[in-house]
Order: sequence, then C-alpha cells, then structure tokens
Amino acid sequence: MSAPNASTGNTERTAVADTAQNGATRVAGMGSGRYIGKRAPRKEDPRLLTGRGQFVDDISLPGMLHVAFTRSPIARGAILSVNTEVARDVTGVHAIYTQQDLAVFNADMISFYLVSPDIKTTPLADGRVAYVGEPVALVIADNRHIAEDAASLVEVEYAEEDPVVTIGDARSGPTVHPGRDDNISVQMGEEELDEELADKLDSAPHLVTQKVVHQRISQSPMETRGVVATREGAQELTLYITCQSPHLVARWVSLALGVPQTAIRVIAKDVGGGFGLKNHPWKEETAVILATMLFDRPLKWIEDRYENLTASCQAREQEMVLQVAFDNDGKLLASHGDYSVNNGAFPQLSECNIAVHMFVWAAYKMPAYGFLTRGWYTNTPGYAAYRGPWGMESLIRETALDVAARRIGIDPIEIRRRNLVTLREQPAESVMGIPLEDVTPAECLEKLLEKFDVGQFRAEQASLRKEKRYLGLGIATYIEPTGAAGAITTMTGELAQVRIEPTGKVTATMSTHSQGHGTATTMAQIFADRLGVPYEDVSVFEGDSSRGGFSPGAAGSRQGVIAGGAAIMAADLLVSKVKTLAAHVLEADPGTVTIEDAMVRIEGSPEKSRSLAEIANIAYGEPDRLPAGFESGLEAQYRYQPPPMTFSSAANACVVEVDVDTGFVTILRWISSEDCGTAINPAVVEGQISGGLAQAIGMVLMEEVGFDARGNPVAATYKDYHLPAISDVPDFEFVHASTPSQSVGGMRGVGEGGAIIGVPTLVNAIADALSPFGEVPVELPLTPTRLLSVIEGRDLGAKAGSETTAVMASQPGAAPVDATPETPVAPPQATAEDATEAVRIDGDWNMALATPMGAQEMTGHFETSGETLSGYLASAEGQMDFTGTVAGNKLQFDLKVVKPMKITLKYNLEVNGDKISGKCKMGIMGSVKVTGQRAT
Amino acid sequence: MSTHTVTMTINGRRHTGTVEARVSLADFLRDQAGYTGVHLGCEHGVCGACTVLVEGNAVRSCLMLAVQADGAGVTTVEGLAAADGTLHRVQEALMNEHGLQCGFCTPGIVMTMAALSGEGKKATETELLDALSGHLCRCTGYQGIRRAAQQLAKPEAMDTANGEQS
Amino acid sequence: MKPAPFDYVAPTTIDEACAILAEAHGGATVLAGGQTLLPLLNLRMSQPFILVDINHIAGLKGIARVDGGTLIGPMTRQCEAIENTALQQHLPVLVEAVRHIGHHQTRNLGTIGGSVTLGEPAAELPATAVALKATIEVRSIRGSRNIPAADFYLGPYMTVLEEDELVTGIRFPDWSPGHITLFRELAQRPGDFALVGLAGALSIESGKVARAGLAWFGMGPTPMRARAAEQLLLGQSVHEIDPQAVAAAAINDTAPFDDQHASAEYRRTVGARLFASTLREAIRVREAA
Repeated sequence: MSAPNASTGNTERTAVADTAQNGATRVAGMGSGRYIGKRAPRKEDPRLLTGRGQFVDDISLPGMLHVAFTRSPIARGAILSVNTEVARDVTGVHAIYTQQDLAVFNADMISFYLVSPDIKTTPLADGRVAYVGEPVALVIADNRHIAEDAASLVEVEYAEEDPVVTIGDARSGPTVHPGRDDNISVQMGEEELDEELADKLDSAPHLVTQKVVHQRISQSPMETRGVVATREGAQELTLYITCQSPHLVARWVSLALGVPQTAIRVIAKDVGGGFGLKNHPWKEETAVILATMLFDRPLKWIEDRYENLTASCQAREQEMVLQVAFDNDGKLLASHGDYSVNNGAFPQLSECNIAVHMFVWAAYKMPAYGFLTRGWYTNTPGYAAYRGPWGMESLIRETALDVAARRIGIDPIEIRRRNLVTLREQPAESVMGIPLEDVTPAECLEKLLEKFDVGQFRAEQASLRKEKRYLGLGIATYIEPTGAAGAITTMTGELAQVRIEPTGKVTATMSTHSQGHGTATTMAQIFADRLGVPYEDVSVFEGDSSRGGFSPGAAGSRQGVIAGGAAIMAADLLVSKVKTLAAHVLEADPGTVTIEDAMVRIEGSPEKSRSLAEIANIAYGEPDRLPAGFESGLEAQYRYQPPPMTFSSAANACVVEVDVDTGFVTILRWISSEDCGTAINPAVVEGQISGGLAQAIGMVLMEEVGFDARGNPVAATYKDYHLPAISDVPDFEFVHASTPSQSVGGMRGVGEGGAIIGVPTLVNAIADALSPFGEVPVELPLTPTRLLSVIEGRDLGAKAGSETTAVMASQPGAAPVDATPETPVAPPQATAEDATEAVRIDGDWNMALATPMGAQEMTGHFETSGETLSGYLASAEGQMDFTGTVAGNKLQFDLKVVKPMKITLKYNLEVNGDKISGKCKMGIMGSVKVTGQRAT
Repeated sequence: MSTHTVTMTINGRRHTGTVEARVSLADFLRDQAGYTGVHLGCEHGVCGACTVLVEGNAVRSCLMLAVQADGAGVTTVEGLAAADGTLHRVQEALMNEHGLQCGFCTPGIVMTMAALSGEGKKATETELLDALSGHLCRCTGYQGIRRAAQQLAKPEAMDTANGEQS
Repeated sequence: MKPAPFDYVAPTTIDEACAILAEAHGGATVLAGGQTLLPLLNLRMSQPFILVDINHIAGLKGIARVDGGTLIGPMTRQCEAIENTALQQHLPVLVEAVRHIGHHQTRNLGTIGGSVTLGEPAAELPATAVALKATIEVRSIRGSRNIPAADFYLGPYMTVLEEDELVTGIRFPDWSPGHITLFRELAQRPGDFALVGLAGALSIESGKVARAGLAWFGMGPTPMRARAAEQLLLGQSVHEIDPQAVAAAAINDTAPFDDQHASAEYRRTVGARLFASTLREAIRVREAA
C-alpha cells in the first residue's frame, strides 16, 4: 500500500467477517482474502494510460463512410418540404436519407423496458419536428467534414408553431404530440388528496411545505455517443457502439429493428462514460444502423459535443412539492408529494419516477404518505436516465428535514435520529410497503459523527459569523435500492464464465460492462481470491455481445453485487473441479486439496504439490487420467440471481463557506460515510462515490441545460455548460461501514449513491450557512445570482423565465380550443344514450393499462347479470378471474396480484358505446389510466 | 479549399501526409497518423482530452490546424512509455493513485502533466493543479488526479513502483 | 463539428499579409493563436474563404521597450508575456490579466494580439488595453494608423478594424513607477469568461492621482471604460479617495446583460462591490508600502 495522502487518511477499513449467504453454498472468509478488499491497481489502466484503449471513434473499417445529420432549427412545427438536391451534388456525398427512406424497415423504437412507447418514435423526424436539434436528414459522405458541408445544404421548409418548453408550458399549452388529450405522458397516484391524509397534515403541530425545482442536466460523458455499423454478410450486423451493455444493445436492436434472422453482434471494448445516456440506441444511432442496412457500406457517426449538449437525451428536469407534518418533538406524522418531470418530446422511457415516492420515506418512520406523480411531454430533447434517476427523493426529504429542524428549533442531526429506522428496529416495513432488513443510514450517521466534531464546528461557525463570514454544515442520509434483478424485464442476473487455461492462467468472460467501473479489475480480484491464483494471472473479458450472456450492464448500481456473486459461484464450481481432479490424480482425499498461489497442494504431503498448469494440462490433454465421468477441461459458469433488492446506505457531511459579497460557495470539507457491504476494491468504491459527488456538486452549483422561450438551447458548448473542474471538487474523506448484504459475497451497489446524497448534503450546507438571511429556495443550480438574492433579500434574478410564460400567455385559450376537436366522441351525446338505451357491456374488450413501463395490453372479458359482474383479464402473463358490480355503464372489480408485489388492483371503468375508460388503483402505487375498445 | 503536404515528427517518427487546410492537428494525428490515443471530447478547447505536446508544450490539438504543425515535433500519449512498456512517471503516478476510470480524458491529462513534470521538469503542486484546471473529467471527481499531481510535485524522487499492493 | 472549407495561406511578411487581406475583400480571416478562432471555425460560426496564418511573420513577435512605453508584437504568446520581465516590471496589470486568460494549454498558443483584436467583451485583454490606454497599431496596403484602444471596440467581436487591416503592434504607455494597479476577475471556474471583471491603473504624483485608467470586462457589449470614475479620481490625493463613491461612478459606465451564469443586476451589484474592495485594497497596499 502506498502512503495514503491526506484525503484518504481518514479511511477506515473494516474487515468483513463471514458473509451471509442466500443459497446452498457457504461463502466464508470474504475480506480476509488476498485480493478482495485490496486497493489493487486496475487491469484497465495500462492500455488507457498509453493511448491503446479502443473507443468507438478508434474503429476504422475498409470502405467506411461518415454520417452527419441535418437537424431542426425549431422546436415545434410541421415539415413542409425537404430538398436534398444541392446537398446531394457536393463532391464526396453518397446518399441523403429522410424518414421516408428509413421507413421501409418499420423500426419500432422501444423503450428501456423493451415495449413500444405510447408515442411513435422514429429515427428521423416524421412530418413534424418536436425539438430543436431533432434529426431530419442523414447524410452519408467520404468524411465527416464533407458530411457536415452537405448537411448544412439540405433545405427544409417548416411551418413553425409556438413550442411547449417547460413543465409549466406543458400544463397549459398545446399538445406536443398531435392526437393526444394533454401533455401528460404518464401519471400515477391520486389527484385529490386523501381526506384522512389531509386531516393529518392540517392538524399537525408543524407542517413544512418544501418545493424543489431541479434543472435539466446533460449526462455529458467525456466520450459522446457514437456508432460504427457494418454488415458482414447478408445476415450479419456488427455494431461498434459506445454503450452501457453490448448485450442490452443487441437485444434492443434485435427487437426494435424486427430482423430476427440477422445475427447481431455488438462490440464496445472501452467506453468513455455513460451515466445513463447510453443504455440503448436512440434516434441517431438507430438511423445510422438503418442507413447501413440500406446503403450497405460501413457507416460511422460520432456525435460532436455540440450535438451532445443540444440534441442528446437529457435528464433530471423536475419539480416537486413535499408536505411534511411533524409533532412538537420533530417526529414525522404524515407526508404528501406532488412530482412532475419533463420528459421532453421522445423520452427513452416515459418516466413519472414512481421510485421517488417508493423511497422518499423508506428509511424513516413515516406513518402516512400519499402522492401524485406525472411525466410531461414538451418540445425539448427526450428524457434518459442519469446516475440516481430518483435522487429527488433524497434531495427533497433531506432539505425538508433541515427546514423543519430550523423551524421547530431542533438540531438537524437530532431530527434524523428521532425518525430514522435503526438497524435494531429492523426487520421493518416502510410506509410504501418496502421490507427493510439491514439498512444502516442511522448507523452511517453515527460513524460519520465520530469523524466530525459538530460542537466544535458550531462554535467556529458562531465566532466567524461575528466577522461576517458564513460557514455552513450540511448533513444528509439516504438509502438506495441496488443490485435489482427480476422486477423489470431488462434487469436480470449476471453471468460469469471462468476457465483455467492449459497454461494455468485464468481467463474469465463476464456479462458485465465497464464505462469506467473497473469491472475487469474487481472481477479479477474475486477470481484470484477464490481460485487461489495471483491477480496478475487473471484476465477478464467483457464488452462483446458474442461473449458471455445477457445483462443490462451498468444500470442501477448492480454489477459489483450481482456479477460479484456470479464470479464467486463460478470460481467455487471450478475450485471443486480442480480438487476432484487433483485428488484423483494425486491419490488423495479431495478434502485435503488446497490451491494457493497457483499451486495445488495436498495437506500433509508436500511432495505431491503440483502447479495448477500441470493439473490443467491433464484436465485438457490427458483424458485417460481423468476420473470416471469427469468433464474434460477446467471450465465453469454460473448465472447469479441475487435477492430482489440490496440496499446501500450512507450519511454525508460537508462544510461550506458562502461569500456574502458575491454569493460564491467554497467547499471546505466533505466526509462520506457509506455502507456498501463488502468493498471488493476500496479504491474503486471511493472512485465511484467521488465521481458521483462531483456530479452532485455540478448539479447544485453550476450545470444547467437551459432553453429560451422558443426552445433553443442556451448552453450549447462547454463554455456555457459548466462541468465541475478540479478546482471545484474538494478532497473527499471516507468512512466505510461494510455491513455484508444478503447477496453472495456481501456486496452492495455503490455506483449512484454519490450523485444522490451529494446534492442534499451540499444544499443543506449552503442553507445552513445562509440561515441568518432566511431560507434558500431550492431552485438548482444555486448560482451566485440566486444566493445573493437570498443574502440581500431581493430578487436579483434574470427575467428569462417569465419570457416563456409571456409567449405562452399571448395565445389565450389556444390549448382548450386545439384539444377539443381532437376528441372524437362528444361526451354529452353518450350520456344521453346511457339514460335511454341499455349499455352493452358483455363480451370482449381490448384494453390497455398506462403503466410507467409502457402500455400493458390485455383482453377484458365481461359478463353481467343484474348488478353482478364477472369475467377475466387476460394478458401474455396469464389470465385472472374476477367478480364485481355493475351500475349503469359503470363497472367495479378488484384483482389481487402477488407479482411483482402483493397488491389489490381496484378497477373503476365506464363504458361509452364501443369505448371503455377509467382507472385502476394499484394500492400504494396510486392510479393509472385504463383505455380500450370493444373487440370486434 | 487548399490542400497541403505536411511533415511532422510524431513520437520520434517522421510522418508526412496531405491534408485539407481545415483538418485539425487532432484529426490528422488520429485519422492519418493513427495515434488514436488523442481523444476528441469537445473540439472547442475546453475539455482538454486532445492535449498533445508540440515542441514540448502542452496544446489543444483541436485548436490547431494540421498545416500549422508542419515541421513540428509532436508527442502524443502513445509516445511516453518506454519501448519495453515501462510507464512514464506521470502514467505510473496516475495508475498508482487510481486517477482514471473510463480513461477518455486521461490522455490529455497525462500530456499536461508530462509537459510540466516530464524529464528535467519539476512543476510545483500549484502549477500542476492550475494547469489541470484545463481538463474535464466526468468520472473520478479528480481525487486520484490531484493525488498524482501531489506525488509528482513532491521534492524527493518518487518511487511508487508496486506501491499499491500491500 | 468540423470547419467549413477554406484556403490557407501563410505569408512571411506584413506587406504580403496586407496584400492578401486587401485582395480578399472581406473574405479573409487572420489566424493568430487560434484559441478563440478555432472553436468558432469548428462550430461554423466563422466561415472565411481564406485563413491568413500570420504565425510565420517574424516582425509581429516580441516585446520591446520603446520611447515611453512597451510595444508588444501581436504574435507574442500569452505564456511568453507572463514570463517577460519587462512586462512584469512596467505593466503588472497586463501580466495579471494574461494569467487569467483561458488555461495553461491555451496560453501556450494564444497571443496577446489575438485576444486584443477579437474583442470578446468578457475577455481580459481588451479591457486591460482600454484601461492602460494602449494604442493599437494597424497596417493595410492603404497605409497605417494608430487607434486608441478606447475607440477600438464597437460590440461583441466587432471592432473598427477594416477588413484589409492587420494589427501590427499594441503599444502600452508607461505608467509611473509604483503606480497603483487594479485587477479583479470573478469567474465560476478558472478559464471561464468573467461574470465581473475590472482592470485599472492609477499614476500617483505628489500623492495625487495624475492619471487614471479603468475599464470593466463582462459588463457590457464591449470593454466598458469607467470614464466618470477616472474623472472623479483625477487630482484626488490618495488618502482622500472614497472607494465606494468611485465604484458608484464606475458602475454607471456599465451595461451588463442577463445570461444563464449571472443576471445584469448581479453583475451591477457585485461589480460595484468588487470595484470598491479592489480599490480599497490597492490603496491599502500602497499606503503600507
């Protein structure tokens, strides 16, 4: 170990005792191994440090041509004409395609959940444009320079319409997508506050109403998006693409392109960061793939930074109001959350972020919670994930707790101590029904406080305030569901395939994928540890869909947990194989065989020691010496299915100074106390947390994708989109709690936590510093202008925001007038019919449930007898019978389901002619819309 | 649109090529000379990933035309390690301190540090950190990069070979 | 993000360069250090027909002491200016301003002349040239002229430079030895354009302000000369100066704007405050010395 420097000097490394296990295999002694728990140097580094990495732009194929896009300069309108003649004449241009050309493939651009989105999304604009930067035409040319020359010469005529830019615009403006009733992309929860909950809130001694406005973020991986597509035969499609899982891309492309007979291979050796942007291809990548199939030449498209900042999917733009009721002791009584997210025009998943509500009070003793949650379409680039997509739950809760502490007059640490669920109080169940067995935010907080003297800080803070210097302390805690597998179709287990080569060296192929995560390192540490071979002898391969098996890769802080478990299980299978063979060959009891430092030894018989290579040579090359029935070779594989959810916990503290002359914030100290169970490589763990915390600093202080009132992006380059630089990020200090999880190996996910907890920690510190001036409205980023407004008690803000409202307000009544003619059935008539005619309910209905994961289609069969209703709902998953009631055209029935969780679905439907509509209340998840029509 | 024949010495080897005037040094190094370790992260001079040495000075290769570098000596990240694979002290410091994750910004960071802490040079920590403010890294939060800079600026000769394995 | 096509020429003399500019009738753009121009080319915000690279003209480089001042060749690299002892001695404000331009890597190529000539209103050097009462020497085939920096800038990236003219030198007059120097820049990160910036110098003779030069950057469409504040200071004895009052006068000569990084009102408020504190501190340092 090299001498730890100041920033890691406080690091605490807890040796982990025997790990709990959930399967038949006993996994003992984790953390006492030679490699697990060590700050091993990374396997990836030598090639990346010497310029030998292989990123997508480093791929060059014979005959390869280059792509650039003609993009929409307006946010909303119809395309009247596209003229490519002039562009086509540029020397070096090979082809120019529009959506009409690509439509021959009828690609279905499915969501992250692998279902068709409820608005049709095409690779290139289809008759209309819905955001500035939307690709309209694709140019193929000899090189990128010429492609851009020609792209600028494609003449497109638009009929521009006033755009819907903000969530506010979406509520009142015209519809982004023609034919829809409103701009709500998806909604859950209850529009009306439950009476009982309302009473609890109203009658509470203290009610805090916290509002958070979160700006839009560009994921901004240092490597932008890009793809090289080539057909290596009539039925082969090879993609080099920067992504978060080659396997997920292969699966997505196979389903989206509808080319089942085509062998798709996806390769992504090195990826320059993903952070949620690169889960699967979107418009541009899909267009390039289709163009490759159409033009039959290898094509390359590398997104430039301007495109990345203005036309890639983006994240986070959201607003939330959280009401929290407290008693006089600061104990939680009830809460309600109203959440909205800007999904843009073509989101990768139509998000209403139900997870915000699932987890907002998960680790706190909260008796009652209700919510309304909605996603909105706007004329902006679509929504995609960004590290800790549901992070709003921690941001709004932890800032609300500090506001409450100030108002009630108790210490912010004390208010958490009074409300957090401690380890001793578990097992417990959260207000949303989440089972808690081993979350440790309270314990992380106490460990944190061992490293930080709050009393001393408060004294220093008080004395400096007399000198007009304003320091603040921010504390936050959180828990995070990690390593999830099973609840969502794309979230699966992980596969480890490992072999001891005839040379005695170890080669493993993993379903994992690194965009900087260092999985080739951490998995090699596990293999070396479990197999008893030197770390240097292990090579781990990943990044190619033709190797290993399916996994979504980096998504949801999962690889260390799940793939780590898979590696342990596969290694143990292989060890047992070696032992069986060695015992046979060396005439010993298998129980006496050990492998250490690549030597196979027999207890008590040192003369029988053999190198692993010798044993491997026998396994592969001397079938006569194998025990009866022994499979030749030394290979094993295991696909590990972890427990449904593994929680990570953390508490963070940071100290800031705010310059009250300028509103500038300086971060003086930051301590992270986290519990990620077994840390395979603490340096990798700290790297993940540090990167997330830096992104949190960016979100709080400087990053912002903004738009003007016409939907034009205002931060189109890195001159204006400010990423944190080295001077913005302090040295982080770490405390590791390390409570082993229930999953094999005891790991807990750590990929996203920093980006989640860092935001409220820093906001709380700033609010604490400025508390003498009043509360700091949580409108991110907290720019110097916004903070100085708090300090001076007057609004110094720009007037840009109101401009948007003015434009929208300039067309009074536009929205309702536009919407009405699109409603085909005139409701008053239908009501009149109800009164006079018998309503036809009996028979089959094609229905759809608008869930956040996409429309869930089903067939409803209804039979009525008087006021009694019976029937079934049938879908691909199976059929469920029900009985209920009928009153006129209104149907009511309940269905009890057990998967993915135990809930009762309460249907309230109404039949109008051949249409059926209404709601399905899904227990604590709230209500979703049901629509459908009579089956013919 | 003029084209030009340019000759430069890249990592000690002479390289001649023909370029359009508008081709950047970065594109020339990547596409014609094959040094794909030069990474393009923004093409407008902010991120620093494309930083190379021209006549020993760290410059943005996206903000220089290939034709401007005619006759110059250029060093890219491929040119630092010894022929036997021994890493340059800057590369070694970054590896020991876990100063990289995805590795995309890394070549630029290596070159800036090499310009200031390469052979016969000994920048102070302040100088190194000031120069590193011209690089963006989205993965690491700069922790290992800063530690590496501190190591390189230490007065005593740095020897951290095998230092990470305890 | 690749530039539109252009021709490239690299003249070796000033006359040759001027001839090319004249012949291009506005279609030419001069390439100096390229650290601002290349991003504009890459983004296709600038699309010249001819790029005139003046890096090979020997006569445009170097720093020379001339009668009563310092003449800086426009092709002097920013990194060279920082290291130059004559500048450190005679024009400490300029050296401080150059240290704030971009980053180490861009200062290695970026030039003094390039920054002065482009006229980015939030950049350090145009305001410093205005404050220090520099004169910009330009040449064309029609002849040469000297333009006071205060008259040079018309708007963002717009100057009085004619399309056939080439900047051949920037002449900074000497300020009396031991003059008071003012420089302050508030930016989010190192290398960012200023939210608020100011540069200035005060020559003191017999304890009184004999000459004052003050200008803002990032506070309007051009570098903004604080004329009223200069007038207010002239003739005042140093210990009489009321920094608050001078700042109030100075802020009246700004026209800041709203953008995503700061509002106009922020810039005004903080500008006045920083002006006063910078002036106060500069006077304190002088009094102490």
